[in-house]
Amino acid sequence: MHELNWGLLIVVYLFLGGLSAGLFFAAGLANYLEVDGQPAYPRIARMGALLAPWPVAIGSALLILDLGNMLRFYKLFTHFRWESPMSIGTYLLTVFTLIAFVYAFSWLPEDWRRSLFGKVPATWKLVHRLNVDISAHRKTIAMVGFPFSIGVGIYTGVLLGAVSARPFWNTNLVAQMFLFSALSSGAAALLLAMVLNKREPIETHETKFLITLDIVFIVLELFIILPYLIHGTLSVLAVKQALWLILGGPYTLVFWVFFMGLGLLVPLAIEVYELAPSLLKGKPFHGDRNLALAATSLVLFGGFLLRYIFVYAGQASSFHKMGLLH
Amino acid sequence: MAMKKRRYALVIDSRKCINCKACVVACKAENGVAVGNFRDWINEDRQGEYPKLRMDFEPEQCHHCESPSCVRVCPTGASWQRKDGIVLVNYDECIGCRYCMIACPYDARYFVEETGVVDKCTLCSHRVDRGDVPACVETCPSKVRIFGDLEDPASRIHELLATRRYRVKEPQTGNGPQLYYLL
Repeated sequence: MHELNWGLLIVVYLFLGGLSAGLFFAAGLANYLEVDGQPAYPRIARMGALLAPWPVAIGSALLILDLGNMLRFYKLFTHFRWESPMSIGTYLLTVFTLIAFVYAFSWLPEDWRRSLFGKVPATWKLVHRLNVDISAHRKTIAMVGFPFSIGVGIYTGVLLGAVSARPFWNTNLVAQMFLFSALSSGAAALLLAMVLNKREPIETHETKFLITLDIVFIVLELFIILPYLIHGTLSVLAVKQALWLILGGPYTLVFWVFFMGLGLLVPLAIEVYELAPSLLKGKPFHGDRNLALAATSLVLFGGFLLRYIFVYAGQASSFHKMGLLH
Repeated sequence: MAMKKRRYALVIDSRKCINCKACVVACKAENGVAVGNFRDWINEDRQGEYPKLRMDFEPEQCHHCESPSCVRVCPTGASWQRKDGIVLVNYDECIGCRYCMIACPYDARYFVEETGVVDKCTLCSHRVDRGDVPACVETCPSKVRIFGDLEDPASRIHELLATRRYRVKEPQTGNGPQLYYLL
């Protein structure tokens, strides 16, 4: 009798929102790193900055599409309810998206910006006033954006975690899990985009940086998922029963084989295999293109599946109907 | 003159329930609830094998909780609670995000496709406001439901809750449900 209130659109939105947060974070970080007084990864910083706003913009549009009353979405902005994670999330998401667009604008190459404004009618004076070079403020914008990108990454988890009626979600670990998954997806998406960009082939030190970043995030994610599982199975009955959904129940296969296996451990193994020789034995880092393609695609696949499993299994969990599942 | 404080609640003597579903039908007729949606329903619980067999019927609807999670999560304030405890949806403010449906531990809410908003039991607030009892209470042939004001010491439910043992469903969610099931 239990129907699903939130479906694939929400899954996709949670994934895209997290992806943008991760892209912004990785790009902003790359923008800050220097070697000998020179920016260490300027191309990563630019690629990430230019990509970051789009997923969340698309995701937010999907969110509006999912509403029962699409045209009333503006009401989200005419109210502020601090007790509602969705209300807080609305403002977080909006501010983050704006910052991400401003940041992308600050990274627009001069000629792109010129041709962009060239398409705007000359009579639109107000718009043309925006045609300024703000590239000098990149670091400031990134600094302002960091907390918002982290906030969006966390919020997607809090949206679910704050629901006390759904024992599968109702733990503080979901927020961190979604955050690290988001950061990992961002690093992976950035590497994927750099590898696919044939006009400016990726350099090995860039691959190494992004792979290292992704390993860190995946490991952090694992450090959250394992306690989630351990604590859940040791918790009160309702949580234990909810975890059955992925420990023997309908989402077991997709969780263990496709998410944990293909989406997390396999890409982690590939990335460690790539990085370990140079890290441990001082051998040169190769940065195999195909391995990078495989690992990053799998990470993105895993990030999507994590949202899918949580949105669907979470809604199936409850305090009073779990008995029927057994 | 200061308004008297009220807190409406339902006491349910489920052992009297014969599963005739008159309450479900009365609610649908009173509130024009569309086919496929329900504001109240009857849970059936079967136990044992014939001839050692037992069957329980337990009417349920919105619990009009003390601290309703549906109201808390609503991003626009469309889900709201009256001072007398009745939890309602302001249909003009609802954007149809269905967060409240997910947040309700009792799955007491439903989504209306035609209007794109969420709807639920109103405890027949339109009847209550003119001094009548909710339709489900009025129609019940075996007098399972007792409606009343917890703040009124002279009320029948006040007496029942003072003298009878009862339980509420899923109190661990912290919602403070206000459907009292007599034991």
